[in-house]
Amino acid sequence: MSKLLIEGVSRTFAGVRGGNPVQALQPVDLSVAANDFITILGPSGCGKSTLLRIVAGLEAPSTGHVLLDGKAVIRPGPDRGMVFQSYTLFPWLTVAENIAFGLRERGMPERERNEIVASYVDLVGLKGFENHWPKQLSGGMQQRTAIARALANDPAILLLDEPFGALDNQTRGLMQELLLGIWERRKKTVLFVTHDIEEAIFMASRVVVMSARPGRIKSDVPVDLPHPRHYTLKTSPEFSMLKAQLTEDIRIEAMRTAQSV
Amino acid sequence: MPRPLHPVPPGTRTVLGIAFFVLFVAFWAWITLGGHVNRIFLADPLSMLGDGWRLLVEDRFWLDILITIWRVFGGFVLASIVAVPIGIAMGAWKPIEAFLEPFVSFARYLPASAFIPLLILWAGIGELEKLLVIFVGSVFQIILIVAVKVGSTRRDLVEAAYTLGATDNGIVKRVIMPANAPEIAETLRLVLGWAWTYVIVAELIGSSSGIGYMIINSQSRLATGQIIFGIIVIGLIGLLSDFAFKALNRWLYPWSLA
Repeated sequence: MSKLLIEGVSRTFAGVRGGNPVQALQPVDLSVAANDFITILGPSGCGKSTLLRIVAGLEAPSTGHVLLDGKAVIRPGPDRGMVFQSYTLFPWLTVAENIAFGLRERGMPERERNEIVASYVDLVGLKGFENHWPKQLSGGMQQRTAIARALANDPAILLLDEPFGALDNQTRGLMQELLLGIWERRKKTVLFVTHDIEEAIFMASRVVVMSARPGRIKSDVPVDLPHPRHYTLKTSPEFSMLKAQLTEDIRIEAMRTAQSV
Repeated sequence: MPRPLHPVPPGTRTVLGIAFFVLFVAFWAWITLGGHVNRIFLADPLSMLGDGWRLLVEDRFWLDILITIWRVFGGFVLASIVAVPIGIAMGAWKPIEAFLEPFVSFARYLPASAFIPLLILWAGIGELEKLLVIFVGSVFQIILIVAVKVGSTRRDLVEAAYTLGATDNGIVKRVIMPANAPEIAETLRLVLGWAWTYVIVAELIGSSSGIGYMIINSQSRLATGQIIFGIIVIGLIGLLSDFAFKALNRWLYPWSLA
């Protein structure tokens, strides 16, 4: 049985000022197996973030439904951890308090909480920064905290919406390795949205390519590269072949987007 | 001329700030001591200080100062206790906002000073009436500003909290309130400044104590030195309370500065 099942999910936004309604997402079907790392790749504005937000329960689908472990998704919940592109750490909480947020909401006693927080601080390499405010951290460190915050809740699935989109290239590469390393060790079902082809291949066990708006799934490419993956993989011939194929796919869609504007 | 928006060094900033005070007092001294205006209408700086000294030592003016401070803070605290929760509720729950916002927006334009005759009828000319003037003048302002700030809480933080398992109540208590606390405190600091103008108006009418009473009393005796001294005292206390409030905010919300 699949962990996550997306069936006929579409999204149409009401027209602005009496204009025609805009379809952001054509009906999408997607099935995600447990512990799979799926990247959703598509040009900007293709509705990939909308799809992820529907899975998170932050937006309602116009048609179709999402099932997680057989249960319908109606509203956001702690079983679907999310990391956003914008920095969404709570600025009034320290790094440790941010990571503990979900545990505290659940009413977990402080001692237990502290243990879990310490282990996740360690996991994302933020030892020594537990008592810093988010404002005192670099973008990469903030996103590391956000990942730890989402994981500390032990969600059934981790959703990431272009989490490294605002980071510089070098930091982004390191963050990819960090997240992948965590996934390789801890095994988690992950849905990762990105517009970066290299990132999509490097992270994924499956790349789902989306078409230009209104989005639909254009192709579903398995990535059978061995784990653990090292950044040097990005220069291997197998990687390059996949990249060439996906670049072609995306290029057509990007051009379509450019023409429709 | 310096370039637009170019910062000024801290030392220069202090010197420039003091320089204006010096110029201002110098101009005042020149027109009064130089005999360019009639003594009856404007006292010179020196006799103002003398009048002030006499007020404090002989007329126990410090008691008036204390009672005015108590009125400002009493009315202000009362208004804050009522207004902040209402403002948060309006910002967080849109039906409450839809229900109250039109009335509050209307009430906010009612001048507090115009209520004084009515408040005297209702509450007499005692302390309650003074507190109510400040209350009426502050409460609607605070409600509205707090509601707007709370209504513009960062949506991505709210969404993040939901995905971490926060309930609707948890969102209000652990996201909306802490996220806006520094801005609410800033709003209160601003409104406290306004409260100082209301208290003086309240003391000008039907009062027998306070800085405003001393000022209106001095007018009938053409004691302009005393009037100016009273005004300066208000300015100084306002400045001090503003500094204290700022320091308190910095201490309470270090994360918002960092």
